[in-house]
Amino acid sequence: MSEMERFDSPLYRSILRRVNKPARYVGGELNAIDKSRDFFSLSCTERVHFALCFPDLYEIGMSNLAIQVLYSALNCEDYIFCERCFAPDVDLRMLLRENNLPIVSIETMTPLNEFDLIGFSLHYELAYTAVLEMLDLAGIPLYAADRGENDPLVVAGGPIACNLEPMAPFFDLIMLGDGEYQLPNLVHEYRKCKMAKLSNSYFFLQVCSMDGVYVPSFYEPNYKEDGRIDEIKVIEPHAPKKVRKALVRDFDHTPIPKSPIVPNIEVTHDRMVLEIFRGCARGCRFCQAGFTYRPLRERSLGKLVDAAKHLIDVTGYDEIGLLSLSTSDYSHLDDLTRALLPMTEPRHINLSLPSLRLDSFEGDLAERLARIRRAGLTFAPEAGTQRLRDVINKNLTENDIFDAARTAFENGWDRLKLYFMLGLPTETEEDVQAIVDLTMRLLSVWRDIPKERRSKRLMVTVSTSFFIPKPFTPFQWERQISIEAMRAKQKLLANGLSDRRISYRWHDFESSVVEAVLARGDRRLSSVIEHAWRAGAYLDAWHEHFDPDIWTAALSLIPGGTDFYTRERDEDEVFPWEHLDFGVTRHFFERERKLAHDGRVTLPCFDGCAVCGCDLWQTGICLPSSKVRSDTGVRK
Amino acid sequence: MTENSGENRLILYFARHGATAWIAHLDNMRLFERAFNRAGWPIAWTEDAFNPRPILVFGLPVGVGIETRRDPVEVTLKNRIDVEPMILCLNRSFPQGIEIVHWEEAPNMKRSLMSLVKAADYRIEAPMIGPAYSLTFGGGRRVIVPWTRKGRTREIDISSRIFETYNIDNDSIEFKGGAGSDLHLRIDLLLDALVRDGKLAPEDALGARIVRKRVHCDFMS
Repeated sequence: MSEMERFDSPLYRSILRRVNKPARYVGGELNAIDKSRDFFSLSCTERVHFALCFPDLYEIGMSNLAIQVLYSALNCEDYIFCERCFAPDVDLRMLLRENNLPIVSIETMTPLNEFDLIGFSLHYELAYTAVLEMLDLAGIPLYAADRGENDPLVVAGGPIACNLEPMAPFFDLIMLGDGEYQLPNLVHEYRKCKMAKLSNSYFFLQVCSMDGVYVPSFYEPNYKEDGRIDEIKVIEPHAPKKVRKALVRDFDHTPIPKSPIVPNIEVTHDRMVLEIFRGCARGCRFCQAGFTYRPLRERSLGKLVDAAKHLIDVTGYDEIGLLSLSTSDYSHLDDLTRALLPMTEPRHINLSLPSLRLDSFEGDLAERLARIRRAGLTFAPEAGTQRLRDVINKNLTENDIFDAARTAFENGWDRLKLYFMLGLPTETEEDVQAIVDLTMRLLSVWRDIPKERRSKRLMVTVSTSFFIPKPFTPFQWERQISIEAMRAKQKLLANGLSDRRISYRWHDFESSVVEAVLARGDRRLSSVIEHAWRAGAYLDAWHEHFDPDIWTAALSLIPGGTDFYTRERDEDEVFPWEHLDFGVTRHFFERERKLAHDGRVTLPCFDGCAVCGCDLWQTGICLPSSKVRSDTGVRK
Repeated sequence: MTENSGENRLILYFARHGATAWIAHLDNMRLFERAFNRAGWPIAWTEDAFNPRPILVFGLPVGVGIETRRDPVEVTLKNRIDVEPMILCLNRSFPQGIEIVHWEEAPNMKRSLMSLVKAADYRIEAPMIGPAYSLTFGGGRRVIVPWTRKGRTREIDISSRIFETYNIDNDSIEFKGGAGSDLHLRIDLLLDALVRDGKLAPEDALGARIVRKRVHCDFMS
């Protein structure tokens, strides 16, 4: 439907007038691509219509760099028209159902079931029910097995693709790893099959050997009597035994979207984004992204500075964010901030450095950050005691924390946010109490600074979430603590953190359990997810929409109860993700787990290779000649 | 700001339609700020140390779902510019649907642009809206509607806020209504009244196309 037709429609206008923030659904943003005229003049077999879907609201999806990167990468090709589609908020969802209207793409209002391919970008488990809702609103059969040749193929990818087994029956394909080259390649293969009028099953056979392309129907888990997995059988002879993730080896030459979409409404991260590196060298033992994105690959300083200059000119944003898993580990951070400030300061552009490590927040960097608009500062000690920080391999000392806080206060910061995790392996009551002590001592650090050198007021926000054991981490074998234990720990903190300068926030208990069950779940959970969705679960990552009763009822369908999935796993247990390969070996995780229980740390990749397995790609920090390794003398 | 400071104020008139008509006022302001940044306009900033903002003043907030044809926005510039080419550049910087259609040097105003806004011309299109309008407002009838503002509800006569009716067709009406701080006419309340008193179908009221054709400012006051 053309834009003119769409906005001339009274029905369209009447629906938009009944929903909150209608601009979420109408598109028309700067740099949004509508190539309908040229694209639809291609013959049907020549072109591939791709719906890039995000199973959450527009504001969340448009804050996500993956959407911008994939949208740009796919639309580079004339024969691909990639459009966006986000989950409707509950008001629009209800109106669509009441009026029997399908969910449509943003750019051309095409119903989702008319696309060739539907690709979901998945970032958290609590978005699963929104995937089902979007498929159902589109009139697309939920289960891959129920879909025919005339239905779109449903593909999923994103950071949690490393274990999408609970959702595997709903997807035709799952993409593992970096998507910017892999997804256009997949679409290219799809087009070849489409032009040759070959079936979907032939297409699956063609692509199943590509790095990062996982065809769930080619694998079948067998279960033991006690419910544990016996083996994951490869039922298609041409499929690889293990599916290895796709990896961009030359990250520096990966294109940065030149014309990112600038949303017309305020989104959650409303800024231009520079991805300074991918992967992480730290090895925090709870962090899935820290292992699944390995190895660390940097973009060069020159590329980033050029990109920043360009993005400032073409987007007009008043904030630029440096994106990575640990910003301060960028080997040219000092030079980068020095180069960016003369561009940003005169134009009132804020420079945002999320994911700063405490041990890097010092001297020049802090002063430079203080010169620009001073937003609140967030640090993540994760645990209250040195012992527990060593268990999780956080590699942070108490002095690092106090020095960083002192530097922040002396440079005028008056809002500090601290992140901690509760329920970590080996955690004791003393570790929880230590969070209180640490926070109180931080207040003392502020009080001890002469009044003329610090801000008048201070507000410290302590935020806790509950540890969720994740696949592809050294803690993938660990248990999640019970809700009763969660409640006790949270209560201890709430009582201890009673100071008018401290605000304490915590994550829901029930949703943490759902997340933990799904994170290490297997295919049998697909019926549980479907049950929850049919009972009304939707947009579960939103506190106001998460309904614990619905999920309790759905989880009660699990024969062994939730404990079956939240329990500690046997050392030799076959995981549901055993047939997937993200580079880091199981042997490395086993060794790291043992070190964790011994309270011993592993140094980051900068300080020497810990032989995790990712050197197989021979790129980034894994190259012996890498400039970011300390043994070259460049990076300490 | 003084005349010697080199600062220069312009009033730009913008039209918006299509997707951009569904943007709320604060988002619209942000969209303009970004477009000015992209176009390289030397916008002056407030001197607030904590939260400096570019100096842009919209004459009248524009509601969600309302198209405009000539709404004023005042911009303060750090220095004089060659306006015409800069407007071309600015128009290229907007997302599709927004356009500067006219500009003028700001008169030497002692009051803010917002306080000078007195009225606005509207065109509303919906099936059978003309008869509903005549039935509701014909014969100088008072039309009382509840008006809620800052949590307080009072009753007002919105007929007194319609200053002039230009045209009534079966499926469209055009009129001048009060705007700004005095006698502001809320279009949603007008449509509610047409549904209640003029038998306009609720679905048609929701699906109405609303165009603000012009905002009238009294620069002499």
